[in-house]
Amino acid sequence: MPETVPDTSRPARRITPKSIVIWSLVALVGATGWGVLALSRGEEISAAWLLAAALGSYAIAYRFYAKFIANRVLKVDKKRATPAERLDNGVDFHPTDRRVLFGHHFAAVAGAGPLVGPVLAAQMGYLPGTIWIVAGVIFAGAVQDMVVLFFSTRRNGRSLGQMARDEIGPFGGAAALVAVFAIMIILLAVLALVIVNALKGSPWGVFSIAMTIPIALFMGVYLRVLRPGRVTEVSVIGVALLLLAIVSGRWVAESSLADTFTLEPGTLVIWMVIYGFLASVLPVWMLLAPRDYLSTFMKVGTIVLLALGVVIAMPTMKMDAVTAFATSGQGPVFAGSMFPFVFITIACGALSGFHALVSSGTTPKMIQKETQVRLVGYGSMLTESFVAIMAVICACILEPGLYFAVNSPAGALGPTLESASEFVKGIGFSITPDQLAQMAKDVGEPSIAGKTGGAPTFALGMSEIFSAVIGGAGMKAFWYHFAIMFEALFILTTVDAGTRVGRFMLQDTLGNVWKPLRDVSWKPGVWLTSAVVVGGWGYFLWVGVHDPLGGINQLFPLFGIANQLLAAVALAVGTTLLIKSGRLKWAWVTGIPLAWDVAVTLTASWQKVFSDDPKVGFFAQRDLYQDALDAGKTELGTAKTREAMETIVTNSTVDGVLAAIFAILIVIVLADATRVCIKAIRNPGSAEIKEAEYVESKIVAPAGLWATAEEKAELAAAAAESAPEGGTPVAAGKS
Amino acid sequence: MTVKSATAKIWWYVRELTGETAYERYVAHVRKDHPDAPVPSRRAFERERTDRQEADPRQGFRCC
Repeated sequence: MPETVPDTSRPARRITPKSIVIWSLVALVGATGWGVLALSRGEEISAAWLLAAALGSYAIAYRFYAKFIANRVLKVDKKRATPAERLDNGVDFHPTDRRVLFGHHFAAVAGAGPLVGPVLAAQMGYLPGTIWIVAGVIFAGAVQDMVVLFFSTRRNGRSLGQMARDEIGPFGGAAALVAVFAIMIILLAVLALVIVNALKGSPWGVFSIAMTIPIALFMGVYLRVLRPGRVTEVSVIGVALLLLAIVSGRWVAESSLADTFTLEPGTLVIWMVIYGFLASVLPVWMLLAPRDYLSTFMKVGTIVLLALGVVIAMPTMKMDAVTAFATSGQGPVFAGSMFPFVFITIACGALSGFHALVSSGTTPKMIQKETQVRLVGYGSMLTESFVAIMAVICACILEPGLYFAVNSPAGALGPTLESASEFVKGIGFSITPDQLAQMAKDVGEPSIAGKTGGAPTFALGMSEIFSAVIGGAGMKAFWYHFAIMFEALFILTTVDAGTRVGRFMLQDTLGNVWKPLRDVSWKPGVWLTSAVVVGGWGYFLWVGVHDPLGGINQLFPLFGIANQLLAAVALAVGTTLLIKSGRLKWAWVTGIPLAWDVAVTLTASWQKVFSDDPKVGFFAQRDLYQDALDAGKTELGTAKTREAMETIVTNSTVDGVLAAIFAILIVIVLADATRVCIKAIRNPGSAEIKEAEYVESKIVAPAGLWATAEEKAELAAAAAESAPEGGTPVAAGKS
Repeated sequence: MTVKSATAKIWWYVRELTGETAYERYVAHVRKDHPDAPVPSRRAFERERTDRQEADPRQGFRCC
């Protein structure tokens, strides 16, 4: 049934001279920012210009493009009741204030991703990353989040996988399901690898992160037994204990206990796997729920502080706008040229398929009005993009020599600070061994060379900014470990929650074959499937840590490809729905980002599978090492033993096969979606879309952050009408 | 806006965001739509809430 609701949500609005002046000024700020970024070559510029370019562009995009999509393309209808209103059960379906839901949605989508990708992509300079983060979010990422949220809201909060099955077909649906599971495994491995790399050889870090477990257990018991539901007070206590754990980390690092907490990467992997398994089989209230409160508090708090810090400190960008690695593709952090690898490396913050799972999960069941998808879907993603811009700033205010010393694989840097310094010099940057030693001392670490994965770099940048505002150089070590803690906290939450989701999917699928597995309260089934999921990401984590070529530069492209694959599924669902509901002329809104995403992802997969360059192509890499083994060589490049060479052969094969599978999955989803779209275009009457029925909404609530004059009048009228009853309509208007 | 009303608004926002108001909301919902149904204690309600998440971990999932 095509949507027949008249276009009611587009009141004729006069454009006032005031608004013309304001928006012209906003445009001017953004344009000036971009102008400075574009024209400055070879001189250092202030981070303020980056902020101006990004914020100006966000404002324009939100005001004009997001509004256009909401009103003209999606035709959001403020008179149509959302599932939260129709199915309100006071628990998972309930109309939630738009500002609260914005916070929920933002906290759910933004994690470590937007902090890691931009840092890695900084090896090509700050400009490619910044342009992609801003343009990508405006035309692709935020559009995807908003469109998926809207369509899921119209379908009672159905998940992306269900929508793919309903609207595209069983093939597309099954491919989407496999994609989600595979991505989950790779995602968890990469995130865990980021943490292992940040914590290796760092007694301070290991101790303070380990302390989060007893803190979370304490909070769990507090909420379960002592004072159920008092989340705010227990979070405040938890954050205070967390700060204490960070401070006491230094005491441990300087005491005789230091050796106990100085762990090898391999040991950390074993601990991570044990933790991941236990955390995912323990009751939610013990570890997951309290840790989640803690990480949300830290996340929102730190991001606000960081934004203030950047604005107050206004640091200078030391990295080049574009480095030679953008074209040569020979960068040490990840191999491959700017297209497609910048667009793969920066997923979260620009376009992240994973968000489609949240946009089609909890949020659509809580949204109060269809008109609010712009604020909640588009707005939250813009905010995450802003976080990614801050990560770019953190990485690029560091001396480039330091950046490359931290982010190059340990194998390439060699065993000593002197060899690391030589390596950095070899790639065209400079840092002395003394500077490296001093830097490590400043942040209270034994060494910072070869700490790949993005988190340590981000922490260095953040400590630079924060110590400029509060505490001076003496506080650098605290802020560094504060940043590590902040990232570790939500990565560990994701490891726990992700393992549970992976297990749930596995139980659901295997339950088709053997019924008892589907029962989520049957303990042996839970343990078995948890072990399978943990074993999956544990394998990649182990491999990543022991890879002589450096785990991050091997695995991160796979994670990026997987994430962009999910985005392709989401955008394909969106485009199919636009076409099926008779909106072919607007299909470009999701169609163009889809085409771009597919071009990027397939090019990247193609290069990862077929490239002759052993740094880029997995199979070329495999052949190189296999041939060397066959020739009886005992070392090649960073692989110093035959075992190391054999490891590379195995890893490259697995990674290459995965890259190929991801590409095939994309092609299956696209082919299936194209078939459905062509059918719908040829025979418009045949298209069946599975929307929930139309029910008139009784809730009156503003669409945007602030109520417009017209909305205020509606709110006042509604309040007068329902004065004796009170309840949601009045609360919704609280402004 | 006075300091007092600003604080009240921030407090309202924090409590809503952390989910601390889930119980109050549920009680209001039961009283309004099912006046005859029994209202669970806060303890029982909060237990039920985490147990639900246990049964379907996709609720409240976090991204990367």
